[in-house]
Amino acid sequence: MSIVQINGLKKYFDAVRAVDGVDLAIDQGEFLVILGPSGCGKTTLMRMIAGLEKPTAGKIAIGGEDVTELPPRKRGVSMVFQSYALYPHMNVFNNIAFPLRAQRRELKFDKRAIREKVESTARLLEIDMLLDRRPRQLSGGQRQRVAIARAMVTKPAVLLLDEPLSNLDAKLRANARDELKDFQRSSDITAVFVTHDQIEAMGLGDRIVVMSEGKIQQIGTPQHIYDDPANEFVATFLGSPSMNILSAKGFRFGFRPEHFLPKTLHDNPENSRIFHYYVKRVEYLGSDRLVYGYVRGREDELTLAKVPSNVRVSLDIESDYEFAVHNSDIKFFDKASGGRIEQQNLAQALT
Amino acid sequence: MTRLAVPAFPLDNRRFVGLLFLSPALLYILLLVGFPFLLAIAFGFSDVTVGNTDLNFVGLQNYMAVWENDIFRQVFETTIRFTLISQIFILIFANILAIIFTQDFTGKWFARFIFILPWATPVSLAMIGWLWMLDTKYSPIDYLLLQTGFLGPNGILSNNRNLFWLATPDLSQISVIFVQVWRLTPLATVILMAGLSSIPTDILDQAEVDGSRFMRTLLQIKLPLILPIMVIALLFSMITMFGDMTVVYVLTRGGPVDYTRVLGLYSFQVGIEGGNLAQGAAISLFAFPLLLAMAIFMLRTASRAEVQ
Repeated sequence: MSIVQINGLKKYFDAVRAVDGVDLAIDQGEFLVILGPSGCGKTTLMRMIAGLEKPTAGKIAIGGEDVTELPPRKRGVSMVFQSYALYPHMNVFNNIAFPLRAQRRELKFDKRAIREKVESTARLLEIDMLLDRRPRQLSGGQRQRVAIARAMVTKPAVLLLDEPLSNLDAKLRANARDELKDFQRSSDITAVFVTHDQIEAMGLGDRIVVMSEGKIQQIGTPQHIYDDPANEFVATFLGSPSMNILSAKGFRFGFRPEHFLPKTLHDNPENSRIFHYYVKRVEYLGSDRLVYGYVRGREDELTLAKVPSNVRVSLDIESDYEFAVHNSDIKFFDKASGGRIEQQNLAQALT
Repeated sequence: MTRLAVPAFPLDNRRFVGLLFLSPALLYILLLVGFPFLLAIAFGFSDVTVGNTDLNFVGLQNYMAVWENDIFRQVFETTIRFTLISQIFILIFANILAIIFTQDFTGKWFARFIFILPWATPVSLAMIGWLWMLDTKYSPIDYLLLQTGFLGPNGILSNNRNLFWLATPDLSQISVIFVQVWRLTPLATVILMAGLSSIPTDILDQAEVDGSRFMRTLLQIKLPLILPIMVIALLFSMITMFGDMTVVYVLTRGGPVDYTRVLGLYSFQVGIEGGNLAQGAAISLFAFPLLLAMAIFMLRTASRAEVQ
């Protein structure tokens, strides 16, 4: 059952089409990640769901009710901002209690109920010993928990998260990701998470919505969008380093650097496509070796290979090797639109 | 030895450039603030007059004489009263106006421009304008009241054809305070507007998503967050007003009797018009420790309340 239903949603800022026709159904209890480069419209989309931005066209329904014209407080959503937006002059208790007090009339809370709710939410997020502190006395991770507690305390239908992990340092981030996912699952809340970080998206999302230029490019599970990208944008946006794209007659094709390996490593070379690969430079990255070079005959198209370090193959620079890609790992794209197309005859097209 | 790529000029020297850039401000402070201030202190401890410019040290004699003077005490009290009353109104109006001017509406720029004019107009010119507005006989305000039946025979306010804005004890004080509020509100408003627009939009968006309505956001988020800036605005307008003499000099000359005589004007009248430079200096210096203490207190409050 979908809790949020978005139809034909558009937002134009004068000539800029921030969101340009989005249809999306968000399921009850799912963790949906909206992924895209900066300026793709993902934050605008989220702000429209929250009610902070008025759509140019289209409809948003939450819980089956049209909320397009309603202010944020009537929508049953809450939000965690990238900056956490904690009220700096209030202690943690008052920060968490703020939405309860603001919606006291709608939610019918008295003072004692507010205290109980704040304390139980704080316990859930393990910040109950920080209730008297001011935001500036908290670490980044603690601030994030306070922001989540404040967003959760009203038991919203949808929790909106705008890059809430990007202000944490790298060490904390993996930890916070894990906790956030656990928390979302155990509280069974519907979460919409906006990010430009594909690792976060892949790690957290039940489903990922990939956006670019105000439009949805693909919706699917992390594995689905990685292995079966709908178009060249999705194919190259996901994965690090990104997919190699080479041109052939009439179309383009691509394969991921980790699928592009020395021929000797492939178990059945009959199902693979062999390329004559010139190795220009090798970067040793610890777990992998990142190989820079090009396919013979395509000297102007930089092609990368990612070879695991535990594979005992010597790769000398400025030398020629035979590399291969499994046929099913080669994706084909239309030259003009970038959309996925059926498998093409590579042998013919490359001659 | 390696040679410098380009020979060094004096302007490459940080100390020199720093001093160069600071020098206009330093010169201004030294010549136009520091020197007159020291001169006033010297005068205050001497027996200098316009007629006899010899500086003879007389100790605290001037200050004692001033303090024992009943007129001075009344002037001092009037100055404090005027300042406090007008600050209350300035704060209220400036807050309301700052909130209005930070909303989006058509004609906002024009409204802001019109509104800043009282502050941008030279004080003496504006006061001559008010002198006419509040004229004893020809005041346009009185004329309007007369036409609407508030004045004149059987008038609601008075049977007279005029209210005598600057000539009765009560109205003259109200007029002076009103004009001060009119003149100083724009500055406080502009400062508060800067404060309001410096509140991160995330915080205000968060409040909106949290379900907060206008009054709650105003009282619990916006006002507490701009409190330090409000203190600064208050400090500016208080100091401006405390030392001001132009308004009363043009409007009332301190009258009727002594009802609107304030410290700045009294000091001018005794020191310059009366020729007793030493006592004039002593009068004006009475305000100094008070203002200094106020400034220190308020700046400390502001920096302590500062968030993040």
